[in-house]
Amino acid sequence: MLIDLTEEDNKVRHDALIYGVPEMRFVSASRRLPGPEDVDNILGSILEGLTRPLTAKEKKGGKWAPEQPRILFEGTLEEAEEFYNQTEKIPGIHNAPFSMYTDGLPVVVPTEERVEDMLRGTSHKPDELIVYQRDEEIAMDAARFSHRRGEVVQFMPMFRTATVEQVAVNAVMAGCKPEYFPVVLAIAESGGGTGDGRGGGGAYLVSGPIYKEIGMNVSYGRIGPGNPPNKTIGRVGSLLWRNLGGYKEMVSTIMTYGSPVTNGGFILAEYAEGLPKGWKGLNEELGYKKNESVLMPIRAGTWGLGQEHMPGVYRSLQKSGHGGIARFLNVKGIPGPHNYLDFITDGIWKTMEGGFTLVLVPDMAKDMYDFGFKTKQAAYEYIWKKSFETVKEYKLRGRPDYHTNGWTAIEKTSGKHWRELPDDYMVPAGGDDPFGSYNIIVCDGQETASQRFSGGHGPAYSIDAWR
Amino acid sequence: MAATKDKVYKCLNPVGIQEPVDTFPLAPRLNTLDDKNIHLSICGEPDITIPLEKRLKGDYPSINWTVKKTYNINPVQLTEEERKTTDGVILGVCW
Repeated sequence: MLIDLTEEDNKVRHDALIYGVPEMRFVSASRRLPGPEDVDNILGSILEGLTRPLTAKEKKGGKWAPEQPRILFEGTLEEAEEFYNQTEKIPGIHNAPFSMYTDGLPVVVPTEERVEDMLRGTSHKPDELIVYQRDEEIAMDAARFSHRRGEVVQFMPMFRTATVEQVAVNAVMAGCKPEYFPVVLAIAESGGGTGDGRGGGGAYLVSGPIYKEIGMNVSYGRIGPGNPPNKTIGRVGSLLWRNLGGYKEMVSTIMTYGSPVTNGGFILAEYAEGLPKGWKGLNEELGYKKNESVLMPIRAGTWGLGQEHMPGVYRSLQKSGHGGIARFLNVKGIPGPHNYLDFITDGIWKTMEGGFTLVLVPDMAKDMYDFGFKTKQAAYEYIWKKSFETVKEYKLRGRPDYHTNGWTAIEKTSGKHWRELPDDYMVPAGGDDPFGSYNIIVCDGQETASQRFSGGHGPAYSIDAWR
Repeated sequence: MAATKDKVYKCLNPVGIQEPVDTFPLAPRLNTLDDKNIHLSICGEPDITIPLEKRLKGDYPSINWTVKKTYNINPVQLTEEERKTTDGVILGVCW
């Protein structure tokens, strides 16, 4: 017997099929009733489900094998547009329409010719399965996953796999050009933004020379509209999640409410030319060479995304010690370099946990370097150390019940069980470790404003491996 | 232009490969719960699972209860040996 929560019934039926037990018995608990009252309501049904004789349907086994034709539609372009843009009504979202093959926006029709053209962007064969190109270990919330080189990538929530050609179909639909395709394939290798089924299409950082080769905007307006590679590659994750993974809201996945950061696509490339001497590019930080191009998925769901302050206030701080940030740092009238990190991290962990990626323009990165952060790692450690607080304070937060598996896990900085730690023991609210929790990349521009979004360093995927 | 407009194209499938799934009947039901080994696998929602565990053990003392719990999404797996000796499983609350 399985207990779900009321509105999850369709997903339970769906998952039961995927796991091969389509007639799984379940009862629904309430999201609103107090626990003891809820238990009163469901207790009898739970136990009855263990003893009630099986129906003929429940006794039946078989095979579920949906049809998967390579050619999905034949017709004129106009007819095809109508076909690919069709929607279905989903009861779980008040019968709102949900796209059957797209992210909700119109797509480029994936004709055989266009897909063939896309495949010219890689040396990999169309019928090759998407497999991991190297061994990797991934930490995700309280869980750890690993995969080996050559292992087939599964796309969630439906544990599907895909060929290079199927990824190309989605790349065409997103509006990508063949030269973008190695980046798209690296996105596919990373799981295609499907996550554990609630991936939201993902968000990505690119590091290495490919940004210039394909014309990604790393400067003004880099997260705005107008630049085809940023816009179309960023969009790919949503399509891969929908089509390769089988995401269908309230049916195959319940993703809570989504994120405006990833909706529509999010990809950002590093401008390594703007790094201060001594600071490594993201590719080098992740174990690759400066001339290698890599992709790192990020979880850019929180911490905001826009600029942190008026650019002029920052300039005044560093040039002459004037303005609001100078007053905040108590350096009024004293020319920089001043420690900007003290301004942007003050009090930020009050009700949030974890780390973030900080996007700086070259002048701001140079100021940090001149202040004393001779490496990015030094900055990560500085920020992380500022996040420490007592265990007593940490226990008042919203997420650690989960992260610590009900306080039964090991606290990573001490190596001790959480329950052994005294209330005044200091633990980081800002993530488990500096490198995994923080990241700084440099993008171009002279307006001295930073951008910030959640997540530090994670696994990287070679773009060059997919050329 | 008319010819192009009327041209018929073959358009490809963007959907990933779904491996066929063998589907299984439900495990046979129990004639009685008395003296049976029933496993309660708890994952999350302590507001429900704490009183549930208490009620199950209190109201049904003739059942041999085993319990494993986690805050994680994935339930703690039973060992091969435990599977051999477990007569029924209650899993929840799923999220």
